[in-house]
Amino acid sequence: MMAVRAVLRAVLIDLSGTLHIEDTIVPGAVAALARLRSAPVKIKFVTNTTKESVSTLHQRLQKLGFDIGVGEIFSSLTAARNVVIEGALRPMLLLQEDAMRDFEGISIDSPNSVVVGLSPDNFNYATLNSAFRLVLDGAKLIAIHKARYFKRLDGLALGPGPFVEALEYASGTKASVVGKPEKTFFLEALRSLGCSPQDAVMIGDDARDDVHGAMAAGLQGILVKTGKYRHGDEDRIQPGATAVCRDFPEAVEHILSKML
Amino acid sequence: MRRCVTHKLIIKLIMTSRGDDWSSNLQGVLLDISGVLYDSGEGDGTPIAGSIDAVKRLKSSGLKVRFCTNESQCTRQYLVDKLRRLGFDINLNEVFSPAPAACQLVRERKLHPYLLVHPDAVPDFSEFDLELTPDCVVIGDAAVSFTYERLNAAFRVLIGQENPVLISMGKGRYYKETDGLMMDVGCFMAALEYAAGCKAEVVGKPAKGFFLGAVKDMGIQPQHAVMIGDDLVNDIGGAQSCGIKGVQVRTGKFRPSDESHPTVKPDGFVDNLAQAVDFLLKDHAQ
Repeated sequence: MMAVRAVLRAVLIDLSGTLHIEDTIVPGAVAALARLRSAPVKIKFVTNTTKESVSTLHQRLQKLGFDIGVGEIFSSLTAARNVVIEGALRPMLLLQEDAMRDFEGISIDSPNSVVVGLSPDNFNYATLNSAFRLVLDGAKLIAIHKARYFKRLDGLALGPGPFVEALEYASGTKASVVGKPEKTFFLEALRSLGCSPQDAVMIGDDARDDVHGAMAAGLQGILVKTGKYRHGDEDRIQPGATAVCRDFPEAVEHILSKML
Repeated sequence: MRRCVTHKLIIKLIMTSRGDDWSSNLQGVLLDISGVLYDSGEGDGTPIAGSIDAVKRLKSSGLKVRFCTNESQCTRQYLVDKLRRLGFDINLNEVFSPAPAACQLVRERKLHPYLLVHPDAVPDFSEFDLELTPDCVVIGDAAVSFTYERLNAAFRVLIGQENPVLISMGKGRYYKETDGLMMDVGCFMAALEYAAGCKAEVVGKPAKGFFLGAVKDMGIQPQHAVMIGDDLVNDIGGAQSCGIKGVQVRTGKFRPSDESHPTVKPDGFVDNLAQAVDFLLKDHAQ
């Protein structure tokens, strides 16, 4: 019996490392995105930021020349906001100021949950201790993601992951992680497009968080060799990526010629 | 009054229901400090009711007494001075703390430590030249000195080594200060382990060598000793893992959920140190 081949209806696209690297556009990415938009697929931009609000991200992408609507961006902060709203939670937010904007209108009085993003300003003993006491008393611990570290101008620096670990260890509980590579993140992003995982593909530069995460959620996955890609990354995930492409334009070409 | 009597009966039951009448063969007692003798906090902190007298009674009973603490916020001498000011009968040579064990590990391996410790604890590490480029991390209860930049500096030392060495003075989850529960060194140890992908070597409780060193110092066998502490996993579980009995007090960081812990079962629960000493001395005299 032949497997029924699903029709591709949605493309999820990572931002940093895939469309741009800091303030530099991946060559050909603007035109490739325009080409993809002429095909009969829905598009969502998915990103694991914990420090920039959707509106700030949007402004940055527009400045770079990308034709992207603010409603097309689904970030890990959006996912966290959704979790907070669905659970009617009042969060203590360990977030930098700009990221707070994604939580406008949400009550933070007498908090019954803790949301942790990358927030060096809040990663001090007093604030962590307040968060710990809430979680020990039953507040839900929500991690935007659990990245170990990131690259700062002066070298490597601790990401939110170690601080989530510290709170987990202190309270004896496990955090709910809302960003990539969590299955629910990809499903939420697709739900807003009205598509199922088997009708969708994810394009990204992170073999583990983008490609492996998406494939574990039932999507197809295309790995691009830009951004954080390191030689041999495609061999470090099982099952392997649906396709490995040089960059975003080649990934679009692959979709248009082989997946539609 | 009636509640109190029932309470005592239950404790007695737990203490003797484990087959052996260990408390009458008792020769030495290990006491945790924070949460058992006193609660730390503003100034010198506050003694726990009955504890000053309980230490006196233990010492005059003929039982040997040692203090086993994971305290790493200050030097051993500072801690002893503080407890003496509060009224406790305690001497420097009776106190076992993790700093000497941490120093020994660093010395043996000829390493240069980055100290992620409380500023008041730094003098315990005076034998090391802290100006040299560090190649290992010693972490203690740094409290407010657990800043993002200092944790980052420790992380960079670890991530830069092929085989990162992280020495942790205890691995407690939290402890109690007068104004509430505080995150302990174990949380930040776990953070660095996760970030650098390494496993810490723990000195102090619950490492077996730590308890056995204190028992040896008393010149007795582990089965003739009891540890009294408020930390179920590190005090009680640690002591029991090397054949020492463990009694948990319902002071300090004790939480009711400790009494139904899935793996660690104390040889007895008592309301406080004073009550523990009541029982031990009664059985010891018999």
